[in-house]
Amino acid sequence: MADFLSQYSIQRWLEMCPQGYLEDTVYGRGAEEHEPEELLGDEDLLESEISTTVQLVVGERCALAASSGLINAAPDFPSKRFLATQTLDEARHVEVFTQRLYDLGVKKGDLESTVDRYANPNLVKFAEVLLEKVDDGDFIAGVVGQNIVLEGMAFSVFEMMEAGNRDPNPKFAHTLTGTIADERRHVGFGENRIGALIREHPEKKPEIEKMQQEMTFYMLATFADAFADAPPPPPDPERAAAEWHGTDLATATPEEMEAVLANTVLGEFKTRLGRIGLEYQTPVGVG
Amino acid sequence: MTDAESSAPPNSRDSRRTYELEDLGFNEVPKKWRKFYRHWTGPGDELAPNEILCPVCKVVIRSGREFRPGDKVYCMPCMSRMVVVEGPGGRLEAEVVF
Repeated sequence: MADFLSQYSIQRWLEMCPQGYLEDTVYGRGAEEHEPEELLGDEDLLESEISTTVQLVVGERCALAASSGLINAAPDFPSKRFLATQTLDEARHVEVFTQRLYDLGVKKGDLESTVDRYANPNLVKFAEVLLEKVDDGDFIAGVVGQNIVLEGMAFSVFEMMEAGNRDPNPKFAHTLTGTIADERRHVGFGENRIGALIREHPEKKPEIEKMQQEMTFYMLATFADAFADAPPPPPDPERAAAEWHGTDLATATPEEMEAVLANTVLGEFKTRLGRIGLEYQTPVGVG
Repeated sequence: MTDAESSAPPNSRDSRRTYELEDLGFNEVPKKWRKFYRHWTGPGDELAPNEILCPVCKVVIRSGREFRPGDKVYCMPCMSRMVVVEGPGGRLEAEVVF
């Protein structure tokens, strides 16, 4: 355990992240990159992108609160040190996605009202389920909720968005590339740290599986809401194909995009939870 | 050097096909390690005999010689340790070691 945790050093984080893939970036993208004019000039598309980016801000604010809250609950100093690097990663994600809202025309004074207006209530509930565990100081449940469920979802969402934006919006795609690289460390820590802890505390399994079930319920409800509101892709014969898990995102309908995202995330949940000794629980109605 | 290169029995070394690795633009690890990784492009991405997919962070790990069951592999982007196993259909897979 000590050997595995020793890899998550601040020095390693510095070399890989700020001195590595984030070097020379500005808010996570190239200094000269901008949102495309076609997006900024289309009122409906702009509102849709603002709404999507607000969900990213809400999710990352939750991740920031969870990772920072888990530092004091961590049972060992190497885990606290890793969570300190994750806290800075999450704070950076909040910042780059907030900056994107400003780039899309949201005024700084309107930030919180914009977040309140567009934040999906199911995503807020998803966050509340996790933060309740963190507030209770439950390290194992908190890390499963944060680094496996939330980060597992974010990992697939970011990958899908990056694939879909690579051609039409390289600026946003580059921002997402850096966040995906960060998520790799976070899911790695989650599986490696909790895989061992779950074996030591099998009595925690039912409670953690119940949390996963609730979080999954709210995640799927969030996806359903998000894609129900999404405009269909504008016809553009010039646009390059954007294949992601067998679906061309450049031409897919919102229903097709919801299906490929939900199926991918749920498949990943089952595999990741199985690897650490937990059984995926299919969501049922949460009252 | 990946763990896969350092952990195999010496007498099996010569019988394996070897590969010249080049940097494929994977910038998520320090420069000297970049040639050992590449981005995975999805389920249709066919892996070479010296490549294995990290099941945790979905990065392709590359070795200077072909993988065999029992090889130990380290994924620097997510810092997971794995062992190569034969999966269904004889395909090699990485299994995480906690």
